[in-house]
Amino acid sequence: MPELDPIIHQPVRLQIMAALGNLGSHEQVDFTFLRIKLGLTDGNLGAHLLTLEQAGYIAVEKTFVARKPKTFIAPTAAGRRAFESHVAALTAILKPKGLS
Amino acid sequence: MQLTPEEAACALAAIQTSRETMRSAIRAHRGHYHLWLWGVIWIGMAMLAEFRGQAGIHLFPWLCVAGIAGSMALGFVQGSQIRGSVDKRFLGVLFAVILFSALWPAVLRAPYHDQALFAYLGLVAMLCYIIAGIWFDTYLVWLGLVMTAFILVGLFCFSAFFWWWIAVFGGGTLIVTGFYIRYFWR
Repeated sequence: MPELDPIIHQPVRLQIMAALGNLGSHEQVDFTFLRIKLGLTDGNLGAHLLTLEQAGYIAVEKTFVARKPKTFIAPTAAGRRAFESHVAALTAILKPKGLS
Repeated sequence: MQLTPEEAACALAAIQTSRETMRSAIRAHRGHYHLWLWGVIWIGMAMLAEFRGQAGIHLFPWLCVAGIAGSMALGFVQGSQIRGSVDKRFLGVLFAVILFSALWPAVLRAPYHDQALFAYLGLVAMLCYIIAGIWFDTYLVWLGLVMTAFILVGLFCFSAFFWWWIAVFGGGTLIVTGFYIRYFWR
């Protein structure tokens, strides 16, 4: 029986994990690109990414591109599993009782 | 943690919205610009060969250099938003395939024939597509197989108008696939 994950369920983190779930297994997304697409502020996104990183749900890589600092984010395998389990738990809540 | 069905529905709707927003953004990074660029280059090469003969064929390397430069520039710009991790083993495999494919025909002094050489190099490029498609689990494997079939059919069945065939079914397939990837993929 899938269970709800309180870390993922927070609305902004839910949004982040849903967005990151679209990435291929070898892909990473730029912090600024993600911030713009999700309509968040730097601080808000940064704080929630830290929580997700500490939970082991995302991997954050800081690097330089053309001498400018860049931060790339990717979901981990554990993060993908936790998110899918959370979605399954949400879906199960919507199903009428008696149906499996 | 307990949720009402309304709260669960709200959360699922938020997930759907976020997925669609990001999916649309990611779709723009699935390689369609590269396919358009190389589709135009294939058509350009075929038309040069058709209308200018040997003089046109001598321009092929320059078109390829322009294509490689364009692809690198696209990769740099798009890689600053969404990038794939560098897989050294994959790069090693591609390097080995390209090196051997270029080396042995020269070493073994394979007979030169415009259409066969173009087809051979096209098939090597499609082999690279297939390897990339298998390695990263992308549509490139199917594109590589379809293009391989088109090249071989053009060479063996329609050699009288090979260059037109390559323009339509080679360059055209790359461009159409680019549109499909950009607007309909996933």
